[in-house]
Amino acid sequence: MNKQFEILRQKATKRNEDLKSTVQIRVGLGICGESVGALEILNQLKDRIKSHDLSAVAYEVGCIGLCYAEPLVDIQKPGEPRIFFQNVTEDNIDEIIKLISENSNNFTGSVLGTLGGPSINGLPQIEEMTQWKYQTRIATRNCGTNNPNEILDYISTGGYEGLSKAISTMSPEEVRNEVATSGLRGRGGAAFPTAIKWGFLVNSPGPDKYILVNCEEGDPGAYNDKGILESDPHTLIEGAAIAGFATGANKGYVFIRHGHNGPIERTREGIKQAYEANLLGDNILGSDFSFELEVALVGESYVSGEETALMEAIEGKRAMPRSRPPFPAAVGVFGKPSNINNVKTLSYAPEIIRKGGEWFSGIGYGRSTGTAILCLNGNVKFPGMYEVAFGITIGQVVEKISGGAPEKWNGATLHRTVKLLQTGGPLGGVLGRESLETLLDFESMAAAGAILGSGGIIVGDDTVCAVDLVRNLVAFCQFESCGKCFPCRLGMTHLVEVLERISSGNGSPNDFKLMPIVGNAMAQGSLCGHGQLGFNPISSALRYFGEDFRIHIEENRCPTGSCIATFHRPTRTRPIASSGWYPGS
Amino acid sequence: MQENQEIKLTIDGKEVTAQPGQTVIQAAMDAGIYIPYLCYWPGMKPYGACRMCVVEVEGQRGTPASCTLPAANGMVVNTSPSEVEGLRNNILELLLSEHPHGCLTCHRIELCGPQDICLRHVRVTDRCVVCPKNERCELKDTVRYSNMNMETPLTYNYRNLPIHTNDPFYDRDYNLCIVCARCVRVCDEIRGDSAISLIERSGTVLVGTSHGSSLLESGCEFCGACVDVCPVGALVEREHKWDKALKTIPTTCTHCSVGCQVNLEVDSKGEVIRSIGNWEAKANIGQLCFKGKFGMEFINSKERIKSPLLKDENGYKEISWDEATNIIGKKLKNYSGDKFSLLLGPKVTNEDAYIAQKFSRIIMQSNNIDMATPYGDSLVRKLEESIGNMAGSGSLQELENSECAIVFNANITEQHNVAAIPLKKGRQQQTLNLIVIDPREVELTRYANIWLRPNPGTENLLLKGILSEIISNNWQDDEFINKNVTGFEELKDSINNINIDDISVLTGVPLEDISKTAESFASSFSSAILYSLDNIPSTQTTNTVELISNLTLVAGNLGKPYSGIFPLRSGTNEQGGMDVGCHPEFLPGYKSVSNKENIEYFENAWGTDNLPAHPGFKASDALTAMQSNTIQAAILIGDSPLYNDDAIHALSHLDFLVVQEMFLTDLASTADIILPMTSFAEQNGTYTNLERRIQKINLAVSPRGESRTPSQFINELANEMQSSIQFSNENPIDIFDEIKNIMDIYSQINIADLGNDGIQWPCNEESPNGTSIMYEKGFTNKKGILFSIDPEKAPLQSKEFPFLHIPGRILFDPNTDIEIVLSGRKNAISREEAIEFHPDDAKSLSIAPGDSVEISTPYSVKYGKARLTGTLKGAVSSTALFGELVTEMDKSSDLEPTLRLSTLDIMPARIKKIT
Repeated sequence: MNKQFEILRQKATKRNEDLKSTVQIRVGLGICGESVGALEILNQLKDRIKSHDLSAVAYEVGCIGLCYAEPLVDIQKPGEPRIFFQNVTEDNIDEIIKLISENSNNFTGSVLGTLGGPSINGLPQIEEMTQWKYQTRIATRNCGTNNPNEILDYISTGGYEGLSKAISTMSPEEVRNEVATSGLRGRGGAAFPTAIKWGFLVNSPGPDKYILVNCEEGDPGAYNDKGILESDPHTLIEGAAIAGFATGANKGYVFIRHGHNGPIERTREGIKQAYEANLLGDNILGSDFSFELEVALVGESYVSGEETALMEAIEGKRAMPRSRPPFPAAVGVFGKPSNINNVKTLSYAPEIIRKGGEWFSGIGYGRSTGTAILCLNGNVKFPGMYEVAFGITIGQVVEKISGGAPEKWNGATLHRTVKLLQTGGPLGGVLGRESLETLLDFESMAAAGAILGSGGIIVGDDTVCAVDLVRNLVAFCQFESCGKCFPCRLGMTHLVEVLERISSGNGSPNDFKLMPIVGNAMAQGSLCGHGQLGFNPISSALRYFGEDFRIHIEENRCPTGSCIATFHRPTRTRPIASSGWYPGS
Repeated sequence: MQENQEIKLTIDGKEVTAQPGQTVIQAAMDAGIYIPYLCYWPGMKPYGACRMCVVEVEGQRGTPASCTLPAANGMVVNTSPSEVEGLRNNILELLLSEHPHGCLTCHRIELCGPQDICLRHVRVTDRCVVCPKNERCELKDTVRYSNMNMETPLTYNYRNLPIHTNDPFYDRDYNLCIVCARCVRVCDEIRGDSAISLIERSGTVLVGTSHGSSLLESGCEFCGACVDVCPVGALVEREHKWDKALKTIPTTCTHCSVGCQVNLEVDSKGEVIRSIGNWEAKANIGQLCFKGKFGMEFINSKERIKSPLLKDENGYKEISWDEATNIIGKKLKNYSGDKFSLLLGPKVTNEDAYIAQKFSRIIMQSNNIDMATPYGDSLVRKLEESIGNMAGSGSLQELENSECAIVFNANITEQHNVAAIPLKKGRQQQTLNLIVIDPREVELTRYANIWLRPNPGTENLLLKGILSEIISNNWQDDEFINKNVTGFEELKDSINNINIDDISVLTGVPLEDISKTAESFASSFSSAILYSLDNIPSTQTTNTVELISNLTLVAGNLGKPYSGIFPLRSGTNEQGGMDVGCHPEFLPGYKSVSNKENIEYFENAWGTDNLPAHPGFKASDALTAMQSNTIQAAILIGDSPLYNDDAIHALSHLDFLVVQEMFLTDLASTADIILPMTSFAEQNGTYTNLERRIQKINLAVSPRGESRTPSQFINELANEMQSSIQFSNENPIDIFDEIKNIMDIYSQINIADLGNDGIQWPCNEESPNGTSIMYEKGFTNKKGILFSIDPEKAPLQSKEFPFLHIPGRILFDPNTDIEIVLSGRKNAISREEAIEFHPDDAKSLSIAPGDSVEISTPYSVKYGKARLTGTLKGAVSSTALFGELVTEMDKSSDLEPTLRLSTLDIMPARIKKIT
């Protein structure tokens, strides 16, 4: 074992023991918690602890995945399981403080359950809940538990063991073999075997090579990359360093979309701490291996998540995809060989190296090893971020984990069923109810005409109009086109106009012919995936929900009535003179 | 080495050979196979946006764009299977849904003119026939090629954006823009300016400036490269906007000594309507500057002098050429010998210059013959002593690959614009270490890795500092020096007395920068120095050139690629004129008049027996000699920036003055007889540029009125004065033959072979294909000479004007607020001038930041707000914007506005605080 690392680990264990001997209050401060006021709750808790002079520490953690229950506050007394309070408001703070100061177990507030030990007072165990039971947490193992701003917390739970093991006992080739054994495949959408991708970079000439980490994640309804970075940035930092070691790269960028403040700040802090602990920088842990890592930002642009556009953006240029070849492994960022991986992909690397590729390949289904990190949204009971092993059906995910379509809303009982699914981001298309039988793995999903993509799943119940949903998706895709290649720039504009027309009852049967003409030109002719897949939402919706379209066009009505209430219409699809940016205006 | 082997592939069933690195579209174009394209442009990086050039590759999936697809061995490409054609047509349909194309769907398209009433009532904005690029439109050509049926289910949408017509020189109509981004890319990739960019995104994407500002403040240098590459009517020159070209004549630009190759478009009225850069030419690789692109209107001017004019008591009266030559011939007979001078403007051709010097020497017995340019031969005279040739030693456009380049006291982006492009490119690729030495802030200082800003008047001191740093650190190229150079030990001794710390203090340049410059210049594999003499006092210029020559030799920067010494000659054909003997000391081919053998050789060659054998007056000295009546008669051919008010005053002392000019300028109106001269577009001949490149100028339009070329005039005059012998030929080709017969360095040039690239002299038996890099085999018959160093001269300031005013000019300045105001219908920049003071000076003048101050120089007065950001003591600087210069040129009432654009002269100045 590496001596430097051993010292670090002892420090971490010591800190962990100190923490365990006191009362810990964790407040979920992912974007899900922050948006419902968790920061204020944390601040008040800290104030009370101070004013009551309690022997307790309150600190922020990331998102544990149960976003529907935020703000989540949990109390862990020495030797006891964590007790989770859900949907905490400022009114509950007194009670939480009282629990500690009086050392009582009288719960009156809304308790979600306990985690990490036997049940107390007959409270439900989170481990037994369907939301948790079906999960296999690898990349998100520390999310919601560790303080993301504290590297020692991460080390105390086995962090950086993988990196330490790799650089002190393994050769780069052995690391790549281990990853090959694990069967890890890219989680960005293409599901390309990661070890092979790393192999491309190994063969490129040095000395400067780059590992790029993609956290653009602009898909509506996807937040797992951001979730990992804001809850446990070190798992990515370690993963990136392992990738650097395995490929001979000496530099890296974590590319985060401007405005994702939680992930940006915590990743930056994490990188800073890793540098201080000599887990990044020159001669990591006393070895010959050096690796620089930096956070790069770009303005909001969906297309900058495309790997070549991302490189342009890192170089400070307009985020527009480059044409390939040359491929990034030959000519990447700043003209140097580069390897791009998704946050999720690299976040598996530490555990794969620590526990071995065999262990990882035992999880999952067929060629899809490991887990999928899903973001469940829309008309479901328990929206949140869940990590499940491949091989269960989408139906199980929707019905069991996320609880299916909500039964109650504002006290009224609803009788709703799941009508459609939208997976893999707006370009991924719309699936019908029959797809609930599809197995969750790369091959089965592809066969069903869907992609796992970013891992976002939006569920629509029978009040959702397919035309309306597709109109929204296409409006998004249109707005997010970079405007470089002609088919995408012009095609998207026409498609969104046609859908606007249909949804407002002005469609004509001719539009059924028009859409595929434009769509096929886009699919065949576009420069990057954005345009090539840009017709997916419409083509899949036409396949599964052609009836919805027919009713709109032929009967001039919306079957669910939702199209009548379209309050958000895109107003800027073509250049207009009143914009300040155009000359003469 | 498999990489360097040729690639064999099949395109449309034809075996095609491609070079490594070529894309499929390039291979196809070379093989004469057409693949339609809209965003691709030869000479720029592949972009892959328009998707017009999609092809099918057997065994590959999808339809890759051939402009981004590297050619590979064994590839089988089909350019137009039906699937690809269908895709192309679909994309074209999409494109036409927002590009006006009314006439394309009309069966009368061949019959209809712009003035005709449209029978189909297509809106005027949707008609092709009223588009300025009608029949020059690449989109239209592509649609016609595609053979698509023009029925589409897509709705047509006209953007209805206002057209931008207020900026100088060219109009922007973004209703016609197809967003191929050629203009954006040429501005960024080739010019290094990035004045325009793509704005917005998706369906709203367009080309524009940052924040929609005017081009004047966007950093545009008005080179017109974007206009040249625009495939549609979005960007068009404002002059002759709708005019159609009848023919296109390739020729050489007349505005500076870079010698850009341009294609002049001529319309049916015989007017030059457009000039377009020639992308095949080595001198400029398709690029032009604001002068070459938009400064050709003078050719068509109605103000051109149409017939010879004789001065009488009522002003001027028209006379015939015969009368004129007759009067001139009679008059000049009285002024033979040193009383006569012949000065040539820098725009005369080699042939004209040759005939002129021959006339002056044989008929007038005078060596008072010179090219009239501001610096004259002082820019290069010392080079003849040190390295043997008064010319640039390499090729400018290749400097893109240099590792280090010094630009010394030259406002290169304005005076030799296209020569700055390789430097900017090298900077962009981060392979070039660009060092600018100039007290003024000019455009290139902003590109520089190091900007050495010496106190005005201490430039030579700074050069000495650099030289001494090289030698004291042993950075010199010893191998080169031992082999090729004499005088190194003496130079080393004279360096010993130099104290580099003193130099740093006196020049105001940090020691570190001097040292870095010295190291980079001497140690880089390839270093070049480009210099002019802007603001160097005339007493110091010799010294400056000596030092620059020393630097080049000590660093061993001659005889290898991407290196060399480049005197930035101010006159267009100054180089050629001197080559062919327009020099008071040199006969054609730089043969000294003081050498008896040379005189005999030329007496033989010209069939005469008494050539004058003592050096004559240089142009600047000749003007002084006119004032003292030493010179009493002169012929001036062509205007020059040298002829300022003082010079014109000197000319008025002459007994008899003949001026051959295009316009009735101040210069012309001092003459006794004015003769109409052809412009460069109205004659054949050759120019030699500053890199020794001999290039053709071709007759594009017929001479205006009775204009004649200088050689026609001189020939007739010679025959008039000495009717016994045939003086010379009139045909430029025959004159050139005469030149090459007597001049070794031109001897192997065949004028018919001068293509786009021209030929760089020496082109003789040793190097029949010309010489792009001189001194590769060392210095032909002697060693390069190093000069020892002189003591320093006094600086410029006088008592009356205790300060110096340093003007600067840059493309854009993000630090000052600019307002664009409309003057007439044109945009103009309105902003408060910022005057930069050194904090110490400000203190002694009790000037606080923001105070209003008045700066008066002997020639001008300036007002502005004080800033304490200056770095030079005893000097104030103010920086103007290039947009102001362009506006000046655009609005100028000058007949040839490019000739006397304001330059950046450092002036003694007085400062007054305004309360």
